[in-house]
Amino acid sequence: MNVDTKVIMGDLVLRTPLLTGSGTFGYGNEYNTLVDYSKLGGIITKSISLEPRNGNPPPRICETRAGGIINSIGLANVGVDAFLNQKVEALPIGKTEVFISVVGDSVEDYTSVVEKLETIEDIAGYELNISCPNVKSGGLSLGGDKEAVAAITKAVRSMTHRFVSVKLTPHYAVIAPVAEAAVKAGADALTLTNTLVGMAIDAECRKSLLGNVTGGYSGPPLKPVSLAKVWQASQVVDIPIWASGGMVNGIDCIEFMLAGASALQLGSVLFADPTAPERILVEMTEYCERHNVERFSNLIGSLEIQ
Amino acid sequence: MTVYSPVISRHCQAGQFVHVRIGDSFNPFLRRPLSIGPCDGDYLRLIFTVKGIGTKILSEKQPGDMIDLIGPLGKPFYLPDEKSCPVLIGGGIGVVPLLTLDDHIKKAVFLLGVQSKTSLTVDESEINQRGISIASDDGSIGFNGNVVQLFEKTLQQWSGTEKQKIIVYACGPMPMMIALKSVCAKFSIKAYLSLEAPMACGVGACQSCVVRKAKAEGYYLVCQDGPVFDAQDVELQP
Ligand SMILES: Cc1cc2nc3c(=O)[nH]c(=O)nc-3n(C[C@H](O)[C@H](O)[C@H](O)COP(=O)(O)OP(=O)(O)OC[C@H]3O[C@@H](n4cnc5c(N)ncnc54)[C@H](O)[C@@H]3O)c2cc1C
Ligand SMILES: Cc1cc2nc3c(=O)[nH]c(=O)nc-3n(C[C@H](O)[C@H](O)[C@H](O)COP(=O)(O)O)c2cc1C
Ligand code: FES
Repeated sequence: MNVDTKVIMGDLVLRTPLLTGSGTFGYGNEYNTLVDYSKLGGIITKSISLEPRNGNPPPRICETRAGGIINSIGLANVGVDAFLNQKVEALPIGKTEVFISVVGDSVEDYTSVVEKLETIEDIAGYELNISCPNVKSGGLSLGGDKEAVAAITKAVRSMTHRFVSVKLTPHYAVIAPVAEAAVKAGADALTLTNTLVGMAIDAECRKSLLGNVTGGYSGPPLKPVSLAKVWQASQVVDIPIWASGGMVNGIDCIEFMLAGASALQLGSVLFADPTAPERILVEMTEYCERHNVERFSNLIGSLEIQ
Repeated sequence: MTVYSPVISRHCQAGQFVHVRIGDSFNPFLRRPLSIGPCDGDYLRLIFTVKGIGTKILSEKQPGDMIDLIGPLGKPFYLPDEKSCPVLIGGGIGVVPLLTLDDHIKKAVFLLGVQSKTSLTVDESEINQRGISIASDDGSIGFNGNVVQLFEKTLQQWSGTEKQKIIVYACGPMPMMIALKSVCAKFSIKAYLSLEAPMACGVGACQSCVVRKAKAEGYYLVCQDGPVFDAQDVELQP
């Protein structure tokens, strides 16, 4: 059986539902000898801010015994001007769809960055990161605020025809109101979810494992949390959902599609296995063959409730 | 551990590293960075001490097992020219990239610091063959003291103009690197330090592995801008 891997979201056609999670795939070319771009529907860059950010003091990454990793990068990025001057040239435009992640502390930050990014030709769209746990102002605090999410989304919507996904934090007990606010403000998709706030301690040394003490928890333990948010949101919104959180194999990805996701972001898994896109596509195809599913898109939201 | 990998062994340079997958289970999740040890044709050596779960699992690999490496990664040591006097200074397991470097340098002074005779990180036969001078903290082998003290003592034998020709290549624990950096600064000796930092991607994509810049705001990436740095360019923190 020839399984159709394509997913379509309005005008946007992704040849596979696999995307790279922001911050795990740099500016799109660092992995170029290791990752097969033809297996990716698109890539999402590191979040870009108006001014350059140096990020948090080291150490910035650690593992936990329960599995998964915690990072406290602190949105280190070159800033939008240096991005335009130094990084755009190496974006994998033409090899796969390119989305640029945008982050800021205020509505004006987001619109100023997007205004500059609008000058780049041939990118597919933006992901608005309104959810990072690693910065004090903005980030998570903005993401927790329904009005802020709506204001940022609306402002960016009014200045671009490109695809816009709004990335939210998993820290809501109830995600529906924020998801609905983003949709009403004109989002084309929701990305669910960013990392959870986490912390790790080395008891022997009495030290926190991260320079910033707390960070963003990602990898396999995040998956059940993100899965629940994807499913909850899919019950109330009718725009596509991009899943992010802990996927390491094809079955993880299938589960997210059953719960309602149209696209799947591979994040931390790339650190362990940069060949994950290729491997996961094979695993997803095998699943579809076993279950007589002709198209990946037929899986979206097809969960049966017990 | 000896690994068959023609692509890496034939294309790597001293100072570069490989990023090693521990297993397929995703727990432990991250790869472990290890320096590329001496290469012989299609083979390279990985030399490591068991520190935690990852290196423990690696140490249990059996001959014939497959292992997943990404590499060669990072910037290599800048090789000395004919006129300079290279001095290789290793601390503990930090000696590994210097063994590889030693294979590319005709005549180097090679110093290694260890805690005691029982914690040597190089076989005694290899120590003799390479002419490595040992310093031990407890005095049980070689010079009684740490390797930076041994270096300072060695320096006394060199004249002022000779000192200017020295290039130090070093890798070891942070306290040693900090002490060494200040000795080199005192005598205006050029020093290249191979640094360590916890890493996720290993290829410059995630911004995990930073060391503070000495001459500017911000950070270098150890995996991409290093692991080898000019000592003057980095601010070392204990
Ligand atoms: C460029 C480079 C080259 C290295 N070369 C060697 C070598 O040749 N031989 C050798 O024995 N060791 C080397 N190390 C150190 C080695 O990577 C760590 O000892 C190893 O990662 C410890 O893993 P673990 O699971 O056993 O320990 P754990 O303490 O359980 O590791 C937990 C986490 O911390 C990270 N970590 C712990 N210590 C270090 C460290 N010193 N540097 C970077 N990450 C660390 C681990 O990678 C892992 O993600 C090198 C490190 C770097 C950065
Ligand atoms: C090292 C690291 C850096 C990240 N940086 C960003 C970022 O800049 N912007 C963002 O929106 N998400 C960032 N994330 C979150 C990921 O994109 C992803 O949403 C999260 O890690 C959950 O997915 P995963 O479990 O597959 O990694 C980062 C994650 C990691 C591990
Ligand atoms: S480990 Fe990812 S940037 Fe160095």
